[in-house]
Amino acid sequence: MGRVRSHNAEKVLERLEKKINRQIATSLAACVHCGNCSSCCHYVLANPDDPTYQPSYKADQLRKLFKRHVDWTGRVIPWWVKAKSVYTDEELEELKDVVFGKCTNCRRCSINCPMGVDHATFNRMARGLLVSVGIMPEGVAVVSKDQWEIGNQMGVLKEDYIDTLEWMEEELQEEFGNPEVKIPVDKMDCDIVYSINPREVKYDPRTIADAAKIFHLAGANWTMPSEGWDMTNFGLFSGDDDLGGAVGRRLYEKVEELRGGRLVISECGHGYRSTRCEAPNWGKIDVPFVMESSVITMLNYIKQGRIKVDKIRNEGSYTFHDSCNNARSCGLFEEPRELLNLVVSDIREMYPNRTENYCCTGGGGAMSMSEYTPLRLKSGKIKAEQLEATGANFVVTSCHNCVDGLTDIIRHYKLDMKVTQLVNLVAEALVIPEKVVVPEEEVPVEVEKPEEAAIFAGKKILVVDDEPDIRIFFTSVLEDNGATVIEASDGDQAIEMLRAEKPDLVTLDLNMPGKDGGQVFEAIRKDEELAQTRVCIVTGRPELRRLIYDRPVAPPEGYLDKPVDEETLIFNCRKILELG
Amino acid sequence: MSDALHFASHRLQEIALVTMAIVYAFRIRWILKFPAGKERQAPTGTGSLKPRTSIIYSWFNIAQPWAMESTRTKFFLYAQFVVFHVGVVAAIGLSFVIPYGPGLLESPALMNIIRILCFAAFLVGILRIIRRVGSKPMRVISSPDDYFSLLLLTVWFFFAGLATPNNYTGGEFILMTYFWMTAFFLIYVPFSKISHYLYYPFTRFYLGKTLGRRGVYPMVKGHR
Ligand code: SF4
Ligand code: SF4
Repeated sequence: MGRVRSHNAEKVLERLEKKINRQIATSLAACVHCGNCSSCCHYVLANPDDPTYQPSYKADQLRKLFKRHVDWTGRVIPWWVKAKSVYTDEELEELKDVVFGKCTNCRRCSINCPMGVDHATFNRMARGLLVSVGIMPEGVAVVSKDQWEIGNQMGVLKEDYIDTLEWMEEELQEEFGNPEVKIPVDKMDCDIVYSINPREVKYDPRTIADAAKIFHLAGANWTMPSEGWDMTNFGLFSGDDDLGGAVGRRLYEKVEELRGGRLVISECGHGYRSTRCEAPNWGKIDVPFVMESSVITMLNYIKQGRIKVDKIRNEGSYTFHDSCNNARSCGLFEEPRELLNLVVSDIREMYPNRTENYCCTGGGGAMSMSEYTPLRLKSGKIKAEQLEATGANFVVTSCHNCVDGLTDIIRHYKLDMKVTQLVNLVAEALVIPEKVVVPEEEVPVEVEKPEEAAIFAGKKILVVDDEPDIRIFFTSVLEDNGATVIEASDGDQAIEMLRAEKPDLVTLDLNMPGKDGGQVFEAIRKDEELAQTRVCIVTGRPELRRLIYDRPVAPPEGYLDKPVDEETLIFNCRKILELG
Repeated sequence: MSDALHFASHRLQEIALVTMAIVYAFRIRWILKFPAGKERQAPTGTGSLKPRTSIIYSWFNIAQPWAMESTRTKFFLYAQFVVFHVGVVAAIGLSFVIPYGPGLLESPALMNIIRILCFAAFLVGILRIIRRVGSKPMRVISSPDDYFSLLLLTVWFFFAGLATPNNYTGGEFILMTYFWMTAFFLIYVPFSKISHYLYYPFTRFYLGKTLGRRGVYPMVKGHR
């Protein structure tokens, strides 16, 4: 009698053949196990003693199913070609750890395979098969759910999105001293519809303001959509073509509804690749308008003289990190360099670069799979070496995932470097006409700004975290900016201090021993006296957000994903405390 | 020449070739039954946007060892690859020359070239066996088919080298072994990893088409 197969294993095998296209079939059949691709993978380089990180070994974990059930020799004499079936959910879990945890789908092995085996493409397919039966890292489930249900990867609510745009608009109006400066929303018949990454709303609204400033000075006729604004696409990472197609469609339809001339995609590698290249294929959509990266838009503005930049304004030395999705899957590697060259003076090339660059380690959705974080950080060894060898003060990248991935690597390997994006550098280098006509002696008057240190003056903030390092970091940043900070290292202590001190804001770690952040949060919301306290949830494991979602209470005012940098912390606390 | 050797060098080869061709025809049909997928996205990137250019580039990528890091940084392995595959061409060619154009081997130059190529490939085969058996990472990714195919080819190169003078007056063992091995090889190929060359045009075609449309192919220098 044959072995009994689990329901999930049955489904995976049933769907396997249906998902295979010609490119994948031949890629699965063609590997000769020459080992040439092995040294091209950052996981292999960081784990030289473990041969199971080799791309061909990882590929074989799916290939064995293909050989056993789709190919021919493996059906007759499976052991001869290492063909094998799958029977249990445990085996599927093992496959999950390989396809999600040991590969960022960076495609570096694909371009180095003499046979043309595109491992990254069928690794994505394997992810999709597992996702279709509900086997995936928890973070992937949470983020996919957010993108299906809320319409964006980070669960940003429409009110928060619009609030952030208004907030940034006010900042710009203040900066320009001109109430006419706008971040238009849902304006019809514009030349440009600008789409962004939800990370910009949550952690980096400065990039929205910077882009808006550039559009304003270029005299662009542009708008942002009120809905369907998320150009990221978790379908690329989860391998779920349905999600990928649906997300793309949402955005394309919005552009058509607004009768936009073209869609400009802010700096994001996977967002650009998904929106520009893959979603039309996943959703079988023929997109009728032009889609371009904001890198190209900004470059054209400078070339056409619509904005003027002065590279002297960006001090320091810079290197450029090519995002895998931009460079290896979309050929976007010369334009960012051209733009960088226009806005900074000291550029130090990173080697290897362009299509040969190494992954930041945050690709393939890795930032949302916290169970693999130690593995990911270890695999960043080669990236750290690459960065360090440049000797640059800043690493520039055109991808939000890379910003997070690189920030992690820089912190983990203790490098003296900061990460920035082209939009920030272009905005910084802008020559603003009004400013240049101001006589020099009046300049000091113009730069009169509120003291940075006083941002949180008069505010009391409770930092709750069981990790002393995090408490010290948060406390010093917030105190340096004028806040009075009190600390708690566990849930019970936090509640006690909340009652005694009545802080204006609590930064609340979710994962703590004893009473966890979720329980503390619910206790705050259910306590009449404390219910109005503003709460910012802080977690290194996005999947734990469900600890909050599942509670029958009003949502928190903000979320922060660890690791948190100084700027992000200040931005978010300001936003939550409405300190415009 | 005995009847047995005549059969082995003529009829047996023809049977093997026809069998291989039939199996290959099925194989290609099998490949074509998978949908090809449609590239709907507008071209991106700064490289070649003409599909034909990038597909041709992709097909001949292997002939440009400088293009890929994997071949550029392992030149000894790349040289082995070249010698091994040229050896395959020589040893297969020999199986046509002996029965249908034996006069060609009367040229000592040609005879020696084929011989040298077959023996060089044999030596590379030995190196490859040592690498596959001796290196842990290689063992981990190898299947019985990988070992057997490599062994089969290595021994076949050896007999091809010995058979090149096409001298059966002193005994037919070498020629008989070479032809029977060739026939086995031809029939075994479609069921083994050796059939990779059948997939090569397809994998490289699609990779070239996709990466060309996206300006990744032809590759731009990314190293020092
Ligand atoms: S380089 Fe290509 S053929 Fe060789 S082991 Fe890697 S995937 Fe297989
Ligand atoms: S796609 Fe990238 S991470 Fe995955 S196996 Fe290949 S080189 Fe390694």
